Amino acid sequence: MEIDRELLKGSISLLLLNLLSRGEMYGYEILQAATVRSANAFEFKEGTLYPALHQLEKRALVKSQWRTGDNGRERKYYSLTGKGRKAAEKYERQWQYLTGAVNAVLGSK
Amino acid sequence: MTPAERLIDEIMGAARMPSGRRRREVQRELLAHVEDFVSSWRQRGRSEEDIERLLLERFGDPRQVAEQFACVYRRERAVLHFGWFLISTVVVSLIISAAALSMQAGVMLGFGAPVLALLGSRHAITEALDIAATVATYVGLVSLGRFFGYPLAVLAVVTAGLFALFAATGLPTQFILFGFLNGTLLRGIQVAVRHRMLQFGAALGCLGALGIVFFHPSSSALVVTAASWLMMGTAYHLMTHVASRVDRVLAARL
Repeated sequence: MEIDRELLKGSISLLLLNLLSRGEMYGYEILQAATVRSANAFEFKEGTLYPALHQLEKRALVKSQWRTGDNGRERKYYSLTGKGRKAAEKYERQWQYLTGAVNAVLGSK
Repeated sequence: MTPAERLIDEIMGAARMPSGRRRREVQRELLAHVEDFVSSWRQRGRSEEDIERLLLERFGDPRQVAEQFACVYRRERAVLHFGWFLISTVVVSLIISAAALSMQAGVMLGFGAPVLALLGSRHAITEALDIAATVATYVGLVSLGRFFGYPLAVLAVVTAGLFALFAATGLPTQFILFGFLNGTLLRGIQVAVRHRMLQFGAALGCLGALGIVFFHPSSSALVVTAASWLMMGTAYHLMTHVASRVDRVLAARL
């Protein structure tokens, strides 16, 4: 299902932090992980992913480093910082609360 | 150049990255992504044309992507450009102050006056402040023009406003305002007049006219004052060249 860009916008940070809380990844891996874990529901566009990752890095929620991966190619790996780990937990709690409230409203029709 | 490389170039060209180092790093990251994307779809047996089309679709409108990157780095860009402006102003001010004071010292020697009286006097400080204000205004207008672009009419309105302020104030504020006015005039001349020699002539003419209108030199001091304006006009014209060179060097380094 094609998800409205505006709806997705608010959840990108949460999704990226959550994916990175499972281990360090580079951009292409993140895209694939999001697609697989959401059973193809989410397909981040490259043009959305990289600015979002850079924004998280600027906010010191993630850090990055270039290194050679298992495939022998140099890639920029992103991982969570301590601050990012706390933010991931906080965003998740907020998201559960919000979706619970939204579902309650939608279910009350 | 492949369509994917062209796309990344287009994104990078419009993303207004704050530094060359940052630009190269983002470019490297996007190219690495393209490499992974192409190799992954090749393994799935897709044709090169298909892969290219898919890639362009997935990246989306390059201007929008560039705008998102620009948004991420806007604060860093502002800080860097302000630093750039300050460095340009200080470097160019120092060069032009040294050049202008040396030329004036030469004129004084020619008139048989003691040079130390010039270099150690309040005149030298006023002159240095005046030059710093001129350079700051000129470099600031060049930077603003680069990012926002402005028509000549804007410069004309700013100059007219400064003229009014200049006429309404007294010493010593007038000297600083004189610098702002010089800087605006020099930039205005540069934007309005294309020919190098005409620019030089216009700069000398405008500075001379400003001096005569506002400082009313006595007839006995007119020759010395005119010589001084000639020196200053030459130094300011030189400033516009030095400023663009400093600008280019900083742009390449940062």
